[in-house]
Amino acid sequence: MCESRITKRIRNSLFCVSFLTVSLVFGQQREISGTVVSNADGLVIPGVNVIEKGTTNGTSTDFDGNYSITVSDDNAILVFSFIGFLSKELAITANGQVNVRLEEDISSLDEVVVVGYGTSKKSDITGSVSSVKSEELSAFPVLTAEQSLQGRAAGVAVQSNNGGEPGAPISISIRGNTSIGACSAALVVVDCFVGGTLPQPADIESIEILKDASATAIYGSRGANGVILVTTKKGRRGKMTVEVNSSYSSQNVSERIELLNASQFAAYRQAINPAYEQGPAETDWQDLIYTTGSISNHQLSFSGGSEKINYYVSGNYFNQEGVVINSDFERFSFLSNIDVQATDKLKLGFNAFANVGNRDGIQSQASSGGSGGGDVISTAYRFAPDTPVQDANGINTTNPVGDQFDNPFAIATESVDETKTDDYRANFYADYQIISGLSFKTTFGYGTTNSTRGRFLPSTLIGQASNQGGIASIESLKRKDILSENYLTYKKEIGKGNLTVLLGYSYQKTRTETFGAAAQNFISNSLSYFNLGAGSDIQTPFSELVEREIISQFGRINYEYDDRYLFTFTARRDGSSNFSRNNKYSFFPSGAIGWRISNEKFLQDNKTISNLKLRASYGLTGNPAISPYQSLASFQRIYSNVGDQPVNAVVPEQLANPDLKWETSYQTNIGLDIGFLENRIALTLDYYNIDTEDLILGDSSAPEYIGFANLTSLRNIGEINNKGFEITLNTQNIVSENFTWSTDFNWSRNRNEVVKLVDGQDIFLDSSPGSFLQDETHVLREGEPVGVFWGYEYRGVNQGAPDPGTAGFAETGPGDELFTDIDGDGVITGADRKIIGDPNPDWIAGLNNNFRYKDFDLNIFFQASVGGDIFSYTFLELASGESNATPEVLNAWTPTNTNTNIPSAAVREKRITDRFVYDGGYVRLKNLALGYTLPTEIVSKIGLQSIRLSLSGQNLLTFTDFPGTDPEASYQSQGNLNSNVNRGFDYGSYPNIRSYTISLNLKF
Amino acid sequence: MINRKYLGILLALLFIGCSDLEEVPLGQLSPDGLINSPEDVQTLINGSIGNMATEAYWGRKLSLSIMLRSDMVSIGDQGTPGRRQDVDRFSMTSDNGMVTALWPRAYQVIAGTNEALAAVATLDAPAEQIDPIAGQAHFFRAYTYYHLVRLFEDIPYLDTPVENIDDAKSISKTPAEQVYANIIADLERAKEMLPNTQQVRSLPSKATAAGFLASVHLTLGDFQNAYNEAKFVIDGEADFNLGLATDFQELFDHSKQAGLNEFLLSLDFNGFSEGDDGRDYTPALTGIRANERGDIGGGWSVAVPTINVYNSWDGRDYRKAVSLDTTGIFGGEELFFDRFPEFDSRNIQSAYIAKYTRAIGPTGTGNGRASSLNYALMRYAEVLLIAAEALNEISPGSGEAAAYVNRVRARARAGNGSDFPADVTGGMSQVEFRDMVLEERKWELAFEFKRWYDIKRRQLGPEVFGPGSLEPQPNFDPSRDYLFPLPFDELDRNPNLGPNNPGY
Repeated sequence: MCESRITKRIRNSLFCVSFLTVSLVFGQQREISGTVVSNADGLVIPGVNVIEKGTTNGTSTDFDGNYSITVSDDNAILVFSFIGFLSKELAITANGQVNVRLEEDISSLDEVVVVGYGTSKKSDITGSVSSVKSEELSAFPVLTAEQSLQGRAAGVAVQSNNGGEPGAPISISIRGNTSIGACSAALVVVDCFVGGTLPQPADIESIEILKDASATAIYGSRGANGVILVTTKKGRRGKMTVEVNSSYSSQNVSERIELLNASQFAAYRQAINPAYEQGPAETDWQDLIYTTGSISNHQLSFSGGSEKINYYVSGNYFNQEGVVINSDFERFSFLSNIDVQATDKLKLGFNAFANVGNRDGIQSQASSGGSGGGDVISTAYRFAPDTPVQDANGINTTNPVGDQFDNPFAIATESVDETKTDDYRANFYADYQIISGLSFKTTFGYGTTNSTRGRFLPSTLIGQASNQGGIASIESLKRKDILSENYLTYKKEIGKGNLTVLLGYSYQKTRTETFGAAAQNFISNSLSYFNLGAGSDIQTPFSELVEREIISQFGRINYEYDDRYLFTFTARRDGSSNFSRNNKYSFFPSGAIGWRISNEKFLQDNKTISNLKLRASYGLTGNPAISPYQSLASFQRIYSNVGDQPVNAVVPEQLANPDLKWETSYQTNIGLDIGFLENRIALTLDYYNIDTEDLILGDSSAPEYIGFANLTSLRNIGEINNKGFEITLNTQNIVSENFTWSTDFNWSRNRNEVVKLVDGQDIFLDSSPGSFLQDETHVLREGEPVGVFWGYEYRGVNQGAPDPGTAGFAETGPGDELFTDIDGDGVITGADRKIIGDPNPDWIAGLNNNFRYKDFDLNIFFQASVGGDIFSYTFLELASGESNATPEVLNAWTPTNTNTNIPSAAVREKRITDRFVYDGGYVRLKNLALGYTLPTEIVSKIGLQSIRLSLSGQNLLTFTDFPGTDPEASYQSQGNLNSNVNRGFDYGSYPNIRSYTISLNLKF
Repeated sequence: MINRKYLGILLALLFIGCSDLEEVPLGQLSPDGLINSPEDVQTLINGSIGNMATEAYWGRKLSLSIMLRSDMVSIGDQGTPGRRQDVDRFSMTSDNGMVTALWPRAYQVIAGTNEALAAVATLDAPAEQIDPIAGQAHFFRAYTYYHLVRLFEDIPYLDTPVENIDDAKSISKTPAEQVYANIIADLERAKEMLPNTQQVRSLPSKATAAGFLASVHLTLGDFQNAYNEAKFVIDGEADFNLGLATDFQELFDHSKQAGLNEFLLSLDFNGFSEGDDGRDYTPALTGIRANERGDIGGGWSVAVPTINVYNSWDGRDYRKAVSLDTTGIFGGEELFFDRFPEFDSRNIQSAYIAKYTRAIGPTGTGNGRASSLNYALMRYAEVLLIAAEALNEISPGSGEAAAYVNRVRARARAGNGSDFPADVTGGMSQVEFRDMVLEERKWELAFEFKRWYDIKRRQLGPEVFGPGSLEPQPNFDPSRDYLFPLPFDELDRNPNLGPNNPGY
């Protein structure tokens, strides 16, 4: 049922093909011929009806899109029509050649969209579903399809945890995050495979984003965060089409941080420590680590089909050389889709997918633990500019001030961090029509992921590995995923009504095995991580098995009456192994109604309003939230040494928690679809309210003297609310033969609020780098949005005596920082902190404009996020007196320079203050592309179907007040808890990248 | 008809499960069925030992706290986190980060012993197999409560595993006297159950239990029992394979420690750590910044004796040379401590603690962290000094008491052949002898985490933190500062633990 729109269109069209023979009596007969292609992709369209206007004379295009028709009137007008495309009327020409480009009717109400376990006419949808088209996904080269969703659909926020780093994890949240501690990422379903890896963008036919309970409850306990349904391309009936897509992008860092040069730095250090002597070098560390990067992306696909078999086969090669030296990503991917109409009643299909990736990276961003200094970007800012890469003895330098860490050039060139990932997935289906209206579909899928990460730090990295004599490690992961789904679909017309019933059963099992080993103190630095045995200091290996099974029954009833009233009821019952003993099964129902007002009598003939539909839905969806084995009692292994020998040792970890259960979202959605002027203006409005209850929170109310290693017991206690409003507006501003202009606009705002926490107590969180020695950087508090920043309010410099209402920390003096003294005790302590920023944007939006003039097309795509704050650990650290600094310290307070807001040069504790909170809003020109499609006449002479060339630029402009390198920062946002609550933090983030891309598309 | 039959089969398929969804936690350490033999119980005791050898306990939080609290060690780097400075300067508050870290870890050590003793009760094995294991559990529980009761006095006391958190949530503090009584009972059980010697000194023997019984009684001022227990150990010296190391330096030399018979109990580190497990920070905390000696990247200059310690310690005492470093190596040159701050402004002009930096063997990570050094939790020298101190209280002026001290002093002299410290001669008053033994403990056990407890049990605060002392601390308040505050958040979680200790 996950059948593409195109296939459906073609199949439908075949019934429309009619062969009419008309004998012509009057006038001179003229032979007109030509080719019909789709304007969007230049592909020929078979089966297009071609009719001489006002007559019954007609024909249709063949498999190559060619037609020929005989007309008798010199002024004849031909009408070209095809389902899914706007009809077009053209006068015949003198030379008898009429080639046609048909515009896709994007707002077509008969468009078929994919929903869970089936398809539906768009006009029959009662839930909130957004579609992202194939051309939007492949508008510019990206590493993963997730990235290309950014700005494309209302309510969908795409966030990379480290900007443009090749291979950095990307999270997609739909309508805000519905959880605090559990995964808030949307469920991805690729060609019916739940939890599949997204294929590369050029292989994707469409992506449907299911947003409300009516659409997602069919995915039950995994539906609360929304569902992304991905359909890959299928073959079309007709001659084989060979398509080549090739692009090359040149990439550069668009923003750097301005820092002190060597002599400024030395003067600054001397203000802190008069004994400081300027080092011998003048080094711009950012210059050393940044380079011109590139992306090469090449794809070759074959597709076609006969009456019985359709096929689509593609291969893709992607190679990114990062803008930080020595950070590369290379990937090969393959996709094959074969569909067979075996008998009249039986349809079979096979889908195979392979992805072989190699990320050859370096650590670009600091991790949470340790003393920092393992990454290249924050160290490039911090490292003393008066220090060379290597000292006179050829030894790599370490930072001469503050913590001793390696210089970024040494880290980038000498450390090794490689991740190789192989993803394979095979999916088989059989669809059998039992009786008319009743069909049974079974799918069986198997997916496997193998991933190996190898790391090596040579002993020449003084700060990180010289004491250890080199550090090498290797980690491996193998995941197997089996999915079997079986369902019956029954369709029946009952009078004016249409009934569709779906009933199904699903079983899925996921098994993940991991292991790893590490060693230190190597004979040689030339071994990398390929000879752990050559390290004399073997570290404890680890291995783990995690299994999860889900058994589900699901069903849906759709009833549509008289094209006016729509009803949908959906339910799913999930049983899951990771659920606790007393709560093994969960049940998620939803219901929705739709009213197609435009089909009521009073609007039926209205010329202005062509579509008006009101939708309302309510339902429950879930988040499994509980990790496997999390509800069981456990011991924990601990490292223990008795008599200088490691021994087996365990400690009590936690008690069993037999009542733990999933998190439930109660979702309401009210939507309105309006189309004007034959849907040239299509507007969709949605309001939603999502109350998520039973959030699993760590209850730390148990006293620590109970002695378990895991002192927080999990309880279903929290509540969070997300409500929001979404606007999607698609307009065909100008549609003429030579010039078209269309606009897609989406806008959404989401408000989230923490409603209930354990005993109403604030949860303080820390996302700072380990070396910052912080405890609290942001807070969860009832009544506040998630992740608001927590710290001191900066009030300027102490000029001798604190201003009224302000104070400094104990022992403050002239030149020190002053803060608001909230408790009025005359000294700043932890009690003087408050909420100092909110990272949640007020709204996000995307604006896409497509222009076409004759054979030229222009795409302008803006994306925006407005109203969120950023807390910059980067600038905090650069102002702490233990590193290089920004030029603002040149204006630091001194006894002779008192009229300043910058405290005196000194080593200061890194405190969270609003001095480092910035407006993180931005508007970004994400893509600007100019394309040229060579005229068909020229192309066909060299035996091609089409040639398109395009030049484009990505991230060419960013409008923002944020002084850092990229307002799309999201430090420490990988992992479940982090991605929900750590928002808007910046620390040594991968800089924004500007790309220039040239692409070539050939079709044979 | 055929279709209908298929339909029936299909419908049946739809709703038949093929799994009961029970989790089989293969590879997970499930308590069910894990502990079946005395050897299995040992893994729980090993877990408690492992929990002690962590950063949150003996690796840093507990050990550094009781070091800084004394008059022998103060803060070097003035930029070090405030929680450490507050311990040193008697300005702790109930949210002090040292306390909030060591508190849960101490109770995790105890929970392991409780779990072990509960498991022992279910085993069907002969006493000779069970006792040596159960004795260890009794011992480590007592040892851990002994630290807690000295730090906090009244504390929550649990001697069975928690099975229901709600029940455990509201218990009250157990008075210190009762805690001491339980500690003594546990140690006496341990003394009965444990063998005379163990294969390794990181496991307690009969002598270890007796040695700590002596220490507990001494702390309580029960000098007769303190003497009895110490005497029990001394009389059994040969049976227990105990003695004094010949060279005082060997006690702090990782390569020599295994061959010594002076440790009654040691906490072992072997240059290996997993994160903060198995990692001692004392070498880093006590080391000189930018010091090239040992090529470990120098230390952090956090816990440093005041210059008064160096000045007041007799230079002829070999133990001074072992305990303190007066030089460091900078730019390849060995320099005296007056030059230390030149190479890092966080160094101070004072002699640094050498016991944990000089011969610590291979280290797992930088600055000497995760050293190979074993830490003596009790040395035989301390047993001798306990015997001397206790005997002086019950029968002053005895030659026996002086002889115990003189054994310790003779070993010190043997180190460098000097005539200092001279033997104790007759004619000392009880008070003089008492002061002499406490001074002897100060030098003999310097920086070995004993001094603060001596100050507390003898209530020496006003004197040792007063003007002209080794470490004047004007903030010292005897009504408050002999105790640490209970963690404030623990009082929030269980208000029945209130009120907090006086002054917090």
